[in-house]
Amino acid sequence: MTVHKEVSQDGKKLTISIKGRFDFTKHQEFRESYEGKELSAVVVDLKESTYLDSSALGMLLLLRDHAGGDDSNIRVVNCSSDVRKILAISNFDKLFGIS
Amino acid sequence: MPSLEPLTILIAEDSAADRMLLSHIVRRQGHEVLTAANGAEAVESFRQQRPHLVLMDAMMPVMDGFEAARQIKLLAGETLVPIIFLTSLSESEALARCLEAGGDDFLAKPYNPVILAAKIKAMDRLRRLQATVLQQRDLIARHHEYLLNEQRVARAVFDKVAHSGCLSAPNIRYLQSPYALFNGDLLLAAFTPAGDMHVLLGDFTGHGLPAAVGAMPLAEVFYGMTAKGYGLPEILREMNAKLKRILPVDMFCCATLLCLSFQRRSVEVWNGAMPDGYLHTIATGERKPLTARHLPLGVLSPQTFDDRTEVFPMAVGDRVFLLSDGVMDTCDSDEQLFGVERLHQVFAANRQPDSLFEEIERALRDFGGEARDDVSMVEVSLLEAAQLSPPAPVYSDSGQSCPLDWSASFEFRAATLKRFNPLPYLLQLLLEVHGLRAQSSALYSVLAELYSNALEHGVLGLNSSLKRDASGFARYYLQRNERLAALQDGYVRVHLQVMPEGKGGCLIVRVEDSGSGFDVARVLERPLDGVRLSGRGISLIRQLGHNASWSDEGRSARVEFFWEALA
Amino acid sequence: MTDTHLDCDVLSALQEIMGDGYPDLLDTFLTDSEERLSLLHQADDAERLGAAAHSFKGSSSNMGAVRLAALCHELEQHAKQKNLAQIEKLVQNIDSEFAIVRPLYEAERQRALCG
Repeated sequence: MTVHKEVSQDGKKLTISIKGRFDFTKHQEFRESYEGKELSAVVVDLKESTYLDSSALGMLLLLRDHAGGDDSNIRVVNCSSDVRKILAISNFDKLFGIS
Repeated sequence: MPSLEPLTILIAEDSAADRMLLSHIVRRQGHEVLTAANGAEAVESFRQQRPHLVLMDAMMPVMDGFEAARQIKLLAGETLVPIIFLTSLSESEALARCLEAGGDDFLAKPYNPVILAAKIKAMDRLRRLQATVLQQRDLIARHHEYLLNEQRVARAVFDKVAHSGCLSAPNIRYLQSPYALFNGDLLLAAFTPAGDMHVLLGDFTGHGLPAAVGAMPLAEVFYGMTAKGYGLPEILREMNAKLKRILPVDMFCCATLLCLSFQRRSVEVWNGAMPDGYLHTIATGERKPLTARHLPLGVLSPQTFDDRTEVFPMAVGDRVFLLSDGVMDTCDSDEQLFGVERLHQVFAANRQPDSLFEEIERALRDFGGEARDDVSMVEVSLLEAAQLSPPAPVYSDSGQSCPLDWSASFEFRAATLKRFNPLPYLLQLLLEVHGLRAQSSALYSVLAELYSNALEHGVLGLNSSLKRDASGFARYYLQRNERLAALQDGYVRVHLQVMPEGKGGCLIVRVEDSGSGFDVARVLERPLDGVRLSGRGISLIRQLGHNASWSDEGRSARVEFFWEALA
Repeated sequence: MTDTHLDCDVLSALQEIMGDGYPDLLDTFLTDSEERLSLLHQADDAERLGAAAHSFKGSSSNMGAVRLAALCHELEQHAKQKNLAQIEKLVQNIDSEFAIVRPLYEAERQRALCG
């Protein structure tokens, strides 16, 4: 299982962790981890992920759309420097909290 | 015994009694029988009748079973014709010979009908399996061919739309990979009516048809609006809105958009999620990175989209270099990336700007990277305006009826000045007058200059002398955006008057602003200075139009255009 | 019928398989065998001898002539090993054995026609 999900005690925050490459092969699992849930805050943990490609960016956009679009609250945390670079070039820090 | 589809079975056996026995056994099992008494007869019988299965005696006169088996297998080609050797050979070497010769199984003498039936059934299953495999393979091959053809057709359409425009202009150099049918990249270039050049390097998510599908509406917006004289912000807003509307949420287009103005000697840039572009100043050798400040197209709603551009000065010979991330993402066999550092090394080592492309290509080859299908590079140089000849626009109407005697006045007030560019509409209106069409470029340049003077120097009160050098340039445009965003009062008025004159006609354009004016006499006295970055607008107006004059302390400008009778 | 010369079970099976064609089969075998015997006699090298013995072995075993088949096998082996000493004796043995089984087959044929 390379996409791991965890819901906080009060049921409000969802943490999704990705292991390995964050690419199109994770598409199904990623979607299943948040589908059908009412979300108020989401954290995507990339501690064990070293690589991010454009389909991963697309997946983040889908998550954002599901979580309320402009009203969503999504953070992408524990980014490696390579991942940060990619997120910076694509200016995704304008849409997600990056750390 | 479970029923089996009747087969045609060839029995090659030289002993008459054995042949008779076997034929009888096989017929009783429901099959049709062909017989042969030696290898040569067996091959001939196979050639003519094409039985499904062969029972082959190993030792026969004229041609033995092994040779006959070899020949029959050759004749059968791709189709599986099982051959069961009939043998009383017990040595394993002899049995091995059977299999080597292409035999699929063997049956020992004395014949056991039960075993024979089982073997025939098993061989038949294999035979039918092979036939299915071949059938499916052929089906897949046909389908694949069909798909390839569809892609070929789609590619032809895609190329017409996505890779055309004025890419063959002398100041553009570009490189795109020939490998993939579609690689999701987009390279568009087109002249504006004023003779400026718009260039777009884009990179859609994904490959193939999904990427191409987004590219076509984008290209149409780009060409359509550029031809009408729209500026980058409007074109960007429209492209973003269109993609946001038509593409699924997880698809977007990274893009860098440029407007190169040969008249104003500047480049306007908008970079959404593409790698750094580079503005190369020949005089200093500096390569200034043009970094992405925006999200890709198709992500933000029209309300939140940011269309702010940056403007930099350029001298003749300077170039803007753009590239897609295929260059940096090229990997070698150790999965090392070529990366931005190596690119900068090539820049640092480069002595001849014209060789930059070759040097980058060589560096990629030397790196040993696996060639990718999404390596795209484009270099746009600023040449003298005279060196470029934009193609004459093509009009679709024939031109007998057009408005020849009319006037119109417009007043654009603060709220409108902030978000609206009236120039494309004014130009479209004027181009209804066929006599003006031949001068559309001059007309647009003059109108644009008059309007921008009225807005920037008049209403916004910007000082054009700021545009003396590169840093001043940046400050000027920063101030422009700030003041425009804060604008509460003010107006620009445009008056157009068209009258017949002799066999042709005359257009009088007047532009007024609510600003504080300027010292007209002093400005008109200044000699024309080709190198200075500011103050060339007035000269342009005087050169391209007729009888240019300023009144009301510089707040009102007037210029005329004439045309002869059309042939 | 003595079991050492003809295997009755094989014969029953053959009759069951061939049905009305059983007498024809026996006829064909006898005619075929005579040809083979003469081939055996004519064979002038080890290879041809071995091949002839091999073929005869095959058809005899199919027809239940067990001792005949065994003798052919022996001859085949000798021919392969190029042991020419015993050849003539072995061929004679085969002749004799065939002389014994032949009338047995003819009797069998008669029995099948009438019974």
